[in-house]
Amino acid sequence: MRILSLQNIHKKYQDAKDFAVSDVSFEVEEGEILALVGESGSGKTTVLRLIAGLEHPDSGSISLSGQVIVSGKKSVPAHERKVGMVFQDYALFPHLTILENIKFGLKKSMGDVDKIARDTLKLVGLHEDYQKYPHQLSGGQQQRVALARAIAPNPKILLMDEPFSNLDAMLKDQVREEIRQIIKKTGITAIFVTHDTKDALSTADRIAILHKGYLQQIDIPKHLYETPVNPYVANFFGKRNEIMATPLQEGWHTSFGFISDPEAKKYKNKVKLMFRPEHGEVVQRDGQQLTGKIVKISYFGSHQMVKLADDEGKRVTIRTNPGRSFEGVERAFFYLWKYDVEEAF
Amino acid sequence: MSIVKSNYYWWNKWTGYSLLILLLIATPLFTIFFKLFDRPGDSWQHIANNLLFGYFQNTILLLLGVAVMTFLLGVSTAWLVSNYEFPGRKYFEWLLILPLGFPGYIMAYTYVGMLDYTGPIQVFLRNTFDIHVKGSLLDLMNLPGAIFILSITLFPYVFLITRSSFVQQSKTLQEASFLLGKNRFQTFFKVALPMARPAIVAGIALASMEVLNDYGTVKYFGVNTFTTGIFRAWFSLGDAGTAIYLAAILMVFVFVILYLESLQRGNRQYASGKDIHKPLVRIKPIIGKQVLYTLICGTVFFLSFLFPFLQLLHWVSLTYHKVINTDFWLLVYRSFGLAAVSGALIVALSVILLYTLRLSPFRWVKNITKVATLGYAIPGAVIAVGIMIPLLSLDKWIYSTFISAKAAGLFFSGTLFALVFAYIVRFMAVGYNPVEAGFQKIGIHVNEASRLLGARSTKTLWKIDLPLIKTSLISGILLVFVDVLKELPLTLILRPFNYQTLATKAFDMATNEMIAESANAALIIILTGIIPIIFLNKLIKKREP
Repeated sequence: MRILSLQNIHKKYQDAKDFAVSDVSFEVEEGEILALVGESGSGKTTVLRLIAGLEHPDSGSISLSGQVIVSGKKSVPAHERKVGMVFQDYALFPHLTILENIKFGLKKSMGDVDKIARDTLKLVGLHEDYQKYPHQLSGGQQQRVALARAIAPNPKILLMDEPFSNLDAMLKDQVREEIRQIIKKTGITAIFVTHDTKDALSTADRIAILHKGYLQQIDIPKHLYETPVNPYVANFFGKRNEIMATPLQEGWHTSFGFISDPEAKKYKNKVKLMFRPEHGEVVQRDGQQLTGKIVKISYFGSHQMVKLADDEGKRVTIRTNPGRSFEGVERAFFYLWKYDVEEAF
Repeated sequence: MSIVKSNYYWWNKWTGYSLLILLLIATPLFTIFFKLFDRPGDSWQHIANNLLFGYFQNTILLLLGVAVMTFLLGVSTAWLVSNYEFPGRKYFEWLLILPLGFPGYIMAYTYVGMLDYTGPIQVFLRNTFDIHVKGSLLDLMNLPGAIFILSITLFPYVFLITRSSFVQQSKTLQEASFLLGKNRFQTFFKVALPMARPAIVAGIALASMEVLNDYGTVKYFGVNTFTTGIFRAWFSLGDAGTAIYLAAILMVFVFVILYLESLQRGNRQYASGKDIHKPLVRIKPIIGKQVLYTLICGTVFFLSFLFPFLQLLHWVSLTYHKVINTDFWLLVYRSFGLAAVSGALIVALSVILLYTLRLSPFRWVKNITKVATLGYAIPGAVIAVGIMIPLLSLDKWIYSTFISAKAAGLFFSGTLFALVFAYIVRFMAVGYNPVEAGFQKIGIHVNEASRLLGARSTKTLWKIDLPLIKTSLISGILLVFVDVLKELPLTLILRPFNYQTLATKAFDMATNEMIAESANAALIIILTGIIPIIFLNKLIKKREP
């Protein structure tokens, strides 16, 4: 069931030259986790604040669980939207205890307020710290309190602004999994904003990519990675190599060598072949492969990146396993097991 | 699908309250502006022909003189305490702010008393060296005297802001200057001073505003300025039209100073980047220089605070048994009450205005809210005239409509209402700024979080915002309290008939040759004034690295 729908949302801040959000429309299904991904200034946080009711769009409409909450100049005020939000800085109330923070959003009509609050704390694993004040907790714990406070009143939708950005790398993987678990356990619909593609790929069911206020693509992670609609989306998920290729009868002629491919004959003009570093494989020489001069090898622990150049100095990067040694080797050989063809002209 | 319960997003009740408050606060300014188009009063011609030139001359000379003196006193001491280590340095950092607690008019008559035939200096000279002076040792009752008195009470503005700027200047910049071959002296003139310029000018601008506001000092010394002119037109001549014309000219001075201040600040940012912030390291000069620096700061402190303060104490010890009685305590009680009510009202109104800003997405709300804080730049006499005129008309209208066409009486004018209203207009900025800083410090997210959890804006204000900015609210009230307590020109014009505050009582007694007796009220004003100064200094120090 559809729970949230944005239609043709435009938002421009006062004194800003460009729209922060331009003609953005998308829908969110009940129970799914959607990631809004983009660089800083892409409008992702603005979208979140528009849904929350902390900003008002210049045009467009928003509806939440079957009710229009924004339309024209009219708007349901934030405190009546039943939207939960976890702020980037958590925004815990420093003068209230953890329990009081969580009880803040609970109303008597919801039942036993104390029990709901304690149950929610249990869910995030902090039921023993309920009497503490926010400053007595670690960053990770504060975040879980913020999450508990947001979900305790059982909101229609949960919004999270850069939920992982304040955590150090060691903690991040663990927290990502924990939060996903908690959200899935409660069955709540969630939208979170992030600039880190790893966060999005590992946590979200679907990802929406924003660039300069425009929605580029919204899809499941696999599709975004494998069939990006445009170069921006493609590059967003890591490096993509591009090489020029001339179609021949049996395959492609490139400056790195020949690629045999029966599809090539369908093309008349030069094309661009695009592939990610992990879509190539460095291999032993056996006469059929592409080749390039080794320019640079970067070691990352789990893998190595090999930068290769053709005779004109044009470069590609291929990922390889960390055990392979290139000592005393000047040239490397590789083949591509996957690439996209884009007509260049 | 129909839209559920919804509002126009640009409107909330806070916007309504704020517009009302702003309208009220702007009344005196509007009044002056619109009354300018009326015919000038009967005495205008006389004043324009005979006195106006003198007003201009005195006001300008006073401004220039105080600017130069506060610059010399403030910048030199600020440089010494922020760059050198010498005996007493740590104490001078806050001792040199204390003169701010001394209202100019009290400083004025204290000095006159000190230099008098019966004053401590002449007594000392007579008893020790048998030197006899006729009359006053040094005639202060003139323009240079007024410049001296105003400068020693106002230089702490320059000292405070400049010192803060010196301390915040990055050490690396000075080191760069040394490495480029400049000595400490050259570095001061080529690097430190130019970089502190915006701060220095801001300090001098503040002092200038106080000069334009001053009535007590110039009146006591018989120096005719626009402020005394407004009083004369209002009280002696009963000519409101002329008072307004003079007030308008005085406002031109204010705008020129504000304009010059903003002009020199421009868009330049002299603050150095945050990352390279290594604090200044104070050096310890040779012992001779250390003594010299202690002497310089010591002399400034002695003249601007210690000496007159001791004199006041001495007078109090001579006269307290005559002065301190039930009436006196009633006076204290009344003044404190007036100041506390004004402080609480100003902070409450500031909270409403700033909360509106906090909730509103619109720039225009921010722009018009600035009007609220304009009062601090407007001399008290101008505000008084601007409030008195509309209130008198209001009273007249009420009487003629509801009571009797012939009778006249006071409902608002000449009541405490008018006085408190005027204090609010004049001192709004004093309470507004700490509240604004408080809101800024806690950030907007806690407020948004509360509203997303279902709390209305009012509940959020009471449960979240206000408890979090409690300290700012208290410091706001305290700062207004002190300013109201020492305020003179507004109170003199607007107080109800025969109503005395500590400030007016001290001034009345001093002008009636009861200087020693006036010291009792003066001492209470000064002692109360010192508390927030020390408090403020601690706040500023906390913010410094």
